[in-house]
Amino acid sequence: MIMTEPARRKAPNPSDESPAGPEPAPAPVEEAELVKRARKGDLAAYDDLVRRYQERIYATIYHMTANHEDANDLAQEAFIKAFQALRSFKGGSSFYTWVYRIAVNKTINFLKQRKNKAQMSLDDLDFNAEHDPDLVALISDKTPRREVNLAELQEKLNAAMQKLSEPHRLVVTLHDVQGLSHEEIAKIMDCNIGTVRSRLFYARQQLQAYLSDYLQ
Amino acid sequence: MNQNTENFEQLRRLLKLKRYEQPPPGYFDRFSSQVIARIRLGERGEESAVIERLLWEAPWLQRIWAAFEAKPVLAGVFGLAVCGLLITGVIYSENGDVQPVALIPVTESLPSSTEVANVNAESHPLLVKPAALETSSTNPITALETDGLLLGGLRAQPTSFVLPGRN
Repeated sequence: MIMTEPARRKAPNPSDESPAGPEPAPAPVEEAELVKRARKGDLAAYDDLVRRYQERIYATIYHMTANHEDANDLAQEAFIKAFQALRSFKGGSSFYTWVYRIAVNKTINFLKQRKNKAQMSLDDLDFNAEHDPDLVALISDKTPRREVNLAELQEKLNAAMQKLSEPHRLVVTLHDVQGLSHEEIAKIMDCNIGTVRSRLFYARQQLQAYLSDYLQ
Repeated sequence: MNQNTENFEQLRRLLKLKRYEQPPPGYFDRFSSQVIARIRLGERGEESAVIERLLWEAPWLQRIWAAFEAKPVLAGVFGLAVCGLLITGVIYSENGDVQPVALIPVTESLPSSTEVANVNAESHPLLVKPAALETSSTNPITALETDGLLLGGLRAQPTSFVLPGRN
């Protein structure tokens, strides 16, 4: 389901040439302090941690599921599980990477258990998408499918993403959509960087094949 | 398929579209509070789970709980009874000069071991002759009668009834 009314919410600067990846990590001491307090049951401290990472966690899950309701549930459950498991958090990685890993594992388990392809429930496109030069170029006269509009392009792109396997979809999401580095993705997926690169290459090839009608 | 399969620039531009997908306005303003609320609810849920497990392991408690739920009057009566017991306990505890009641009379001098050994069973009310215990299943009264006392001085005697109109 595509909602026709575009959201007026400001996107996290997606028009930049570099992908809108994670912002520089907040001061580690402060995050460590928040984690320490949250571990003692301080929900206000945990609320701060949730606010810091909620958009990135939600976005990752949403791009994996292409369903707002599922993404909402899974993101909430990921943060709840992280809170319950805070005592087992050793601090070997950043809290951000650790939560990301919980969210990703939860999402992949959910997608494996989901027997049938769920109907897509896509978020609205931000108003600024219409003014993005790259996207304007895609729907310009040069595009083979001239009648296409952004909403249709969004639907086709999400449908193509859903055809990928979960690990390949995850790599594309984390790198090409969220802008994480290969190293960060390797940490989150608990694999080596070579695997990340090869999965990314294969996933792009697949997507390019699925979307050839919409690419020059 | 695109001929230049290794040049993914067009695809990367297309993927930028996904960065413009945004949840409804205000969604992230409510998100963290919903998470915290669910965490709080889960903590309360754990407490209620302990009660549920207790009820499950003690069926009689479950029946009582069900009765209280079905008839709140019972719960009220139970509460009143508990309060009554509590008040009674407080009142009795304030009367500290009440002498403890001895169940067995205390003799002034304890008998020596030889005296204990020579106690005459017939003279002591708490000791019963073994013969008295030899009751008969067919006539227990008769068997006890031989010993004499029953219930601290009440003697059981055989009685005869003469019904009117009969010889």
